[in-house]
Amino acid sequence: MSQIVRSFRPVVDLGKCIKCGLCQTFCPEGTVMLKGGEEVVFDYRFCKGCGVCANECPSDAISMVREA
Amino acid sequence: MGLNSLFDEYYEKSFIQGGTTCCPGCGGPLLWRIILEILGSKTIIYGDGPCAMCAVRNIKLPNFNLHFSFIADTATGVVAALAAKGREDITVVSSGGDGATADISLGKVSAAAERNENMIQICVDNEAYMNTGIQKSGLTPYGAWTTTTPLGKEAPKKDVPMIIAQHNVPYVTTASVAYPKDLQAKIRKAKGTEGFKYIHVVIPCPTGWRFNPAKSVEVVRLGVQAWAWPLYEIEEGFLRLTLKPRQRPVEDYLKAQNRFRHLTDEQIQYIQGEVDRKRERLLEFDGKRIIL
Amino acid sequence: MLFTRMMEGNEAAAWGARLSRAEVIPVYPITPQTEVISHIANFIAREEMKAQYIKVEGEHTAMAAAVGASTAGARVFTASASQGIVFMEEALWMPPGRRLPIVMCMVNRSLAPLGGLRPDHNDSLLQRDNGWIQLYCENSQEVLDTIIMAYRIGEDRNVYLPVAPCYDGYFVSATATPTTVPDQAEVDDFLPPYKHEMYNLMPEEYEPIPFYRPIAESRYEVQQAHERAKRVIEEVDKEYERRFGRSHDGLLEEYACDDVDAVLLTMGSMTGTVRDVVDEMQAEGKRIGLLKLRAFRPFPTEELQKLAEGYHAIGVVDRNTSYGSAGGGIVSMEVARALYLLEEKPLLVNFHVGLGGSDVTMRQVRYMAGKTLEAVEKGRVDSMVDWVELKDLGEVM
Ligand code: SF4
Ligand code: SF4
Ligand code: SF4
Repeated sequence: MSQIVRSFRPVVDLGKCIKCGLCQTFCPEGTVMLKGGEEVVFDYRFCKGCGVCANECPSDAISMVREA
Repeated sequence: MGLNSLFDEYYEKSFIQGGTTCCPGCGGPLLWRIILEILGSKTIIYGDGPCAMCAVRNIKLPNFNLHFSFIADTATGVVAALAAKGREDITVVSSGGDGATADISLGKVSAAAERNENMIQICVDNEAYMNTGIQKSGLTPYGAWTTTTPLGKEAPKKDVPMIIAQHNVPYVTTASVAYPKDLQAKIRKAKGTEGFKYIHVVIPCPTGWRFNPAKSVEVVRLGVQAWAWPLYEIEEGFLRLTLKPRQRPVEDYLKAQNRFRHLTDEQIQYIQGEVDRKRERLLEFDGKRIIL
Repeated sequence: MLFTRMMEGNEAAAWGARLSRAEVIPVYPITPQTEVISHIANFIAREEMKAQYIKVEGEHTAMAAAVGASTAGARVFTASASQGIVFMEEALWMPPGRRLPIVMCMVNRSLAPLGGLRPDHNDSLLQRDNGWIQLYCENSQEVLDTIIMAYRIGEDRNVYLPVAPCYDGYFVSATATPTTVPDQAEVDDFLPPYKHEMYNLMPEEYEPIPFYRPIAESRYEVQQAHERAKRVIEEVDKEYERRFGRSHDGLLEEYACDDVDAVLLTMGSMTGTVRDVVDEMQAEGKRIGLLKLRAFRPFPTEELQKLAEGYHAIGVVDRNTSYGSAGGGIVSMEVARALYLLEEKPLLVNFHVGLGGSDVTMRQVRYMAGKTLEAVEKGRVDSMVDWVELKDLGEVM
C-alpha cells in the first residue's frame, strides 16, 4: 500500500451537499463516494488532496482543510 | 460494511486501484476510471501512458506496460492471437500517450489503422512528454512552454484524429475527461464496432501545464468551451459534432495555465484566429462526409 | 514421412513453421528471407495451413506483434535478416525477459554499410546478449528440423525462451539440398499444442505480473533458463532422432575428430566445405578434425571444455568482425573465455573469412587447417587473428 503525503484533506458539509455525485465522477483517484446516494465519504488512505472534488462541487459543500 | 472495504470493493468493481502513483489531479487515472466502467472485465489493455502509464499499472485487468515505440503493434499481436483462439468476445485496447501516438509510433498506429485491426486505439493526450519531464511532442500546441520549448512551441499541434480518419477506419472520435457521459457513449460505440477505432482524449496534466491541480477538470472543460478542443466523431466517414458549446474566448483557456503565461497579445490573437477557422470548418462539415 | 526432394532453405523453413502449426505469423519482407514468408502465404492461401498472417509495416512491429501474440498464448513464428534484425533489436529484448517461446529464423546477411545481400554472422551475433537461444544450421534439412525442435525447446517449462534458428542467406536460404518433410501427424505427436504455464492473459485467468521486481532477479532467471536449455537441447535432439531418424548433434558436433591434433571450429553453411576438406586432408595423413558449433546461445562451455582437452589447437573460423575487440572475432572470444579455466589449454588460432558473404573456398579452408596444424608444430600462434581473404593464397600455399 502506498503512503500518501497530503497537505490538505477534503471535508464535506453534508448540510450543503445536494447529493449530485459530481465529486465521485471527477475524483481522479476514486477516493470519494456518494455512499448510498446519501452520504459523501472519503478514502483517506489514498486521497491525494488534489482538491478536484471541492472545485467541481456545485454547492461548495467540500472544503480543503490543512493536514496537521 | 466498513469504509475501507466499501472502497476496496469499489476499486475492484471499477478495475482500477485508488491511490495511483500519478500526480494529484492527474487526468490519467480519471480517464481510466471513466472508460473501464464501459469496457468491462473482458478487456486487455496494451500500451503506455501518458506518464499515466502509472495509471495503466494500477488497472486490474490484463495489461502490459510498453515503451513509447510499441503502440498498436503488440496489441495487433494480441488481436491475432485472440482471433486464432476464437476469443473475439474480448476487447483489445491499445493505449498511447501523445508522444507515442503522434511521434514515435505514428507509423504503427497508421499501419494498424490501414490493416483495420480490431482494437480500440486510445490516444491519451496531455500535450507533451510528461514522464520524461515535460518535453515537447507532436501534440504540444502552438505557443506552449515545455522544457525543450522554453520560448513556446513554434509549430502547431498535429491533427492526428483527422490523419487517422483519412485511413477510412470505421470510427474516429475526440473526447475530454471533463465530459464523462460523452466519453462513455463514445467508448460504448467503439466497443460495439468491428475494426479499428481511434479515440483521442485530452487529459489534464497539472504538473506539465502548470496550474493548481484542483482546477484539472475545469481547465480541460474550458478547452472544450473555447473550441480549442472540439468534440466530434467521424463514423464511416461522416463527421458529427457531439457538442456545440457557446464559444468562450480562447484566452480564458490559455490564461488558466502557466505554460501559456509568456504569450503576447498577438500570439493569443493568432491562436484565436486558428481556433475560429477550425470551428467554422467543423460547423460547415457537421453531418457531412469528410473522407475523400 | 511425407516426401523427400531438393528444397531451398527458405522453403524448408516455411515447412518447419507449417508443421509446427504456428498460429500467428507477423512478418515483414527482407532479402534473403522473403521466400519463407511467400511460401507461408501460399500455404495459407491454399488452406494447407491455418494461421493469422499479419503483413506488418516493419520488423520492429513484426517482433512487437510476435510478443503480443505470444503473451496472449499463441504459437508464433517469424523470420528476418540483416538490417531487419537490427531494426527489431529493441523488441528482441522483450521475449526472453517475458519468457516467451517465439521462434524466429534469422537468415544471416551482412550489415550496412558496405554489406551486400550475402551472409556473414554479425546480424545474429549482435543479438547474442539479449537472451535468445541461437542454433546455427548448415542446410535445408537442418533448418526444417531445427524449427520443429525449437518449439519443443523454447516451450519446455524449464526453458521458456525464444529460439532463433540461424542460417546463411543465399548459401542455405537459396540453395536446394535434399530435404525430407515429415508427416504432420508425427510432428503433432512430437510437438503438443502450446500452453504457457507461467501466465495467462485471458481475463478469466489473468494474474498480474509484479511490476516492481529486482532486475537482477529476472536476469538471473533468464540466465538459469539458458543453463537448463543446454540439457533440453540435447534431449530434444535425441528424441527427434528416435522419432524421425535424424540428429543434428544438439549443441556441438564433433566431425572426424578421432585421433586428431587440431580442429577447425565453424558455424553455419561453411561447415559443409570444411567437412570435405577435413576428409581430404585426413586421407593425406593430416591430423585435423572439425567442430561444428550449433548452439551459440546457450554457449556449450562445459561440452567444449571436455572436447578441447583432446586437441592441441583450435582454429576458430569467424564469419564476423568485432572492431577493436580484445582479439579477433566474436566466436573466438567466446571460445577463449570458455577455455580459460582449463589447465591444459589448446592453442587458439583465429581466422576472419567469408565476410560480406564471399565464398569460403576449399583453398581457404586448407590454408586455415594448415595454419592451425602449424601452430601445434611450433607450439605458438603467430597472430591474434588472420584475415584470410586479404591473403593471396596462391603465393602462401
Ligand atoms: S481531494 Fe482529490 S483525491 Fe481526494 S477525494 Fe477529492 S478529488 Fe479525490
Ligand atoms: S459534488 Fe458536492 S454536492 Fe455533489 S455530491 Fe459531492 S459534495 Fe455533494
Ligand atoms: S506529470 Fe502529468 S500526466 Fe504525468 S502523472 Fe503527473 S499530472 Fe499525470
